[in-house]
Amino acid sequence: MGGIDEKPRGDTAVTDRVNPRVGNLAARVRRSVSDASDVLWRRWEQAARWQRWLVYLMLIGLAIVAPSPVIGSFMSPFTDWPSLLFNPIGVYVLLALGLNVVVGYAGLLDLGYVAFFAIGAYTLAYFSTTYGWLFWPTLVVGVTLAAVSGVILGAPTLRLRGDYLAIVTLGFGEIVRITAVNTDEIGGARGITNIPHPPNLFGVQFLLDPLPYYYIILSLIILVIIFSIRLERSRVGRAWAAIREDEDAAELMGVPTFRFKLLAFATGALVGGMAGVVFAGKVIFIEPNNFPFILSATILAAVVLGGSGNIPGVILGAFLIAWLPERFRGLAEYRILFFGAVLVAVMALRPEGLLPSRRRRAELREGSGGMGRLGGEVGCASASSEVISAEARQ
Amino acid sequence: MVWNDVVAQFGPSTIGGLAFGSIYALIALGYTMVYGVLRLINFAHSEIFMIGTFAALFVLNLVDLSAPLSGLALVGMLLLLIVVAMAVSGGAAVLLEQVAYRPLRRHGASRLAALISAIGASIFLQELFALIVIPDVFHRPQQGGRLPVPGPRLVNRDVLFSIGNANVRTDQLIVIVAALIMMVLLNQLVNRSRIGRGIRATAQDPEAAVLMGVSIDGIVRLTFLLGGAMAGVAGVLYLMEFEVTNYFVGFALGIKAFTSAVLGGIGNLRGALLGGILLGLIENWGAIFFGSQWKDVIAFIVLVVVLLFRPTGILGESLQKARA
Amino acid sequence: MNDRTTLRLENVTMRFGGVVAMCGVDLRVEEGQIAALIGPNGAGKTTVFNVITGVCRPTEGSVYFEGRRIDGMKRFRIAKAGIARTFQNIRLFANMSALENVMVGTDAHHRTGAVGAALGLPWHRAEEKAGRQKAAELLEFVGIAGKSAETAKNLPYGDQRRLEIARALATEPKLLLLDEPAAGMNPAEKRSLQELIRRIRDSGRTVLLIEHDMGLVMDISDRVSVLDFGQKIAEGPPREVRANAKVIEAYLGATADAS
Repeated sequence: MGGIDEKPRGDTAVTDRVNPRVGNLAARVRRSVSDASDVLWRRWEQAARWQRWLVYLMLIGLAIVAPSPVIGSFMSPFTDWPSLLFNPIGVYVLLALGLNVVVGYAGLLDLGYVAFFAIGAYTLAYFSTTYGWLFWPTLVVGVTLAAVSGVILGAPTLRLRGDYLAIVTLGFGEIVRITAVNTDEIGGARGITNIPHPPNLFGVQFLLDPLPYYYIILSLIILVIIFSIRLERSRVGRAWAAIREDEDAAELMGVPTFRFKLLAFATGALVGGMAGVVFAGKVIFIEPNNFPFILSATILAAVVLGGSGNIPGVILGAFLIAWLPERFRGLAEYRILFFGAVLVAVMALRPEGLLPSRRRRAELREGSGGMGRLGGEVGCASASSEVISAEARQ
Repeated sequence: MVWNDVVAQFGPSTIGGLAFGSIYALIALGYTMVYGVLRLINFAHSEIFMIGTFAALFVLNLVDLSAPLSGLALVGMLLLLIVVAMAVSGGAAVLLEQVAYRPLRRHGASRLAALISAIGASIFLQELFALIVIPDVFHRPQQGGRLPVPGPRLVNRDVLFSIGNANVRTDQLIVIVAALIMMVLLNQLVNRSRIGRGIRATAQDPEAAVLMGVSIDGIVRLTFLLGGAMAGVAGVLYLMEFEVTNYFVGFALGIKAFTSAVLGGIGNLRGALLGGILLGLIENWGAIFFGSQWKDVIAFIVLVVVLLFRPTGILGESLQKARA
Repeated sequence: MNDRTTLRLENVTMRFGGVVAMCGVDLRVEEGQIAALIGPNGAGKTTVFNVITGVCRPTEGSVYFEGRRIDGMKRFRIAKAGIARTFQNIRLFANMSALENVMVGTDAHHRTGAVGAALGLPWHRAEEKAGRQKAAELLEFVGIAGKSAETAKNLPYGDQRRLEIARALATEPKLLLLDEPAAGMNPAEKRSLQELIRRIRDSGRTVLLIEHDMGLVMDISDRVSVLDFGQKIAEGPPREVRANAKVIEAYLGATADAS
């Protein structure tokens, strides 16, 4: 493979080039799962508008009755089910939806996403305990602060190569955590305690009962889903897709690629901050250890396992990752071990995730989609006059 | 901050920075070589280093040292540790490539997928040590896998000589000298030998290399082996210097080593040395002013600043041509 | 300088390390013309396109578009100013549909951002609708109207070339750069491409093309410039260029594949 002017062209069909030693089984599993999801997709695309709305309403209805003990007795025989629905399930789903904008739509790898979650949580914790700010206005402030920090982090770094961006964001996540540990003003390593609950809303009290919090986070999730879908189907989403597929060509067609990448970053940060504020509003006590790197990796894994770029997939991924270890208590200790192994296996067998969007699947298979292909892009742009020289890309 | 304090701390900080930097540089070699050949951040390389520290600790536990060593006994022991750690870490790196990267490479997966696989492998190895290896092999209580595992004192912290107000201790000198020797050896291997030529050819143009009869799989395996072996040496030196390790030891060191590689120019062996030493120094000097709890933050900020102003690093990316 | 000059390159030199891809090239393209850039392989033709579209910043010299200096401008701004291009190796957004590919081009002049899109504001909807309609028209204009829902990579080669042209036209360029548009086409396809290029010119756009097919070049160009080893060795109406001794030497001396 030569320079960027010689990327695999449209005539490359998606083929299963499988290592014969890995065996046909893997290939067969991969193919049959893809077939099944293909059938589902086709069904869905052919469905009438009212049929789709029916499905949406049923899903929302299901989410509303989800905390009922009938469901809980099966889903979570060991732990309080409504608490679980709020955290980790609701929180993970919201975070995964936010990260999906960055990773799934814009194809940018953010390994420090937890930083925005932390910024949201600390915003509420600090301002409510120090200045007595109320929950709802602080939610707005926290979301804004997170988005602004997304812009501050993104502005200098989004011009970097994909994998450099990954490391820089990882560094940012650590900087935020270490800063929290080292800053006594926000509690240092001990964290912040006695964070007040949100005030009553429509006569509903927010105390220790997890139910009202679950409904807050559910509403936010629905809101984020609606906005995500609308963004994806607009000029913005097209620009993101174009950037993922061929950033240079996109820029030459008049797409201000940097601005759109920054937008994706800020949008993701905003949702992360939102999750942080709501989380802090419920848990009373936060400390820097609530925001380790492994949480960033977990959310990323949720997005990727589920099917990055596809909202149902991302929700499924986040749900499974949050729920499985709680449901199968025996797993709890080995949860993270298991999780690492699953990441490796899924990337080898089904890099597009469980429920991918059709386009993302093709991209991930072909090795386009954000970062180029492994080994394929190894050769670099030669100085030959007939390629768009990388040196000249500012 | 009193100026005299700064002056008084400058010497020791510099020596400490050089020792730290040497370890960063050794780990950075693995990142730099793999990146040069595959353009992949081998995220699990930090765990290869971690495994190196435990390999050394395992040998030390077997030998059951009663007192710190010196003279020939020390040299012999160090050689033994280095050989074992190189073998274990190098082997682990090759295995890692086989399991986590080769299948992806085969079906031309995206680099995003490869990076995520790398993260998965990294998490898996950490947990494997925390849950199984440390409790079982190092006889820690079942819940104690996440606690630090102390090692014996291998060498006394005698002051050998002083430069200005900076005392150079035996252990620090060993770290610096051993790291330098390993790097010179590796540099010779890559630049002078036939297999080294294969690595460089693959880094520059894999397709042409294949046409010239280079086995890409073989070269990739070799790259992982060499990078892993260097991380093994780093593990030995780290354990000797700090006398403690844990399952998570690779995380911060790995990021800093990667920073070093980028700082010097990723894909460039000499860049890794320069970057490692520089990062060690900047971090330690920065700590004089801001306090050592900000060391990691200083390192990350250095990384960001370098990437912004010189994305190809100080020496440029020489295993292949520079790309911005 | 008359004001019918759309594009002007002045003394442009482009070096990559030790390689000189362009050396003191002057070039002028008149409004409403079809201009061609020819030369043996490796003569630096694509580099000229890269310099014009802002992919490469010239080492020396300057580029003017409609009297405005554009070298050093950001690439998307140059595109918005009215220069669009196709690529020698087709670079479509392979997994997007034909229509979406073209819509990315129409978006170049749209203004709604994230908020408008997220809230589904009326002007956003209006823009979306207009863009969709314009994209459909362009697909029809280049002759692949029936394939708007097709994924770009599944289109036959010739249609991919046409789609690239439609995408470029969607950005409403005043100057369209075509990089070997006829490469890999059969004679029938070439004829209809030729006709398409003429229609583009007749719709008021200026065209600059790189092409190896001399028959096509001589047929449709108003003016031909010849590059060899990064230097302009001849320029003029097709008939004159064809007879130029230096040009004949360059082609015979280098490769014969150009005829």
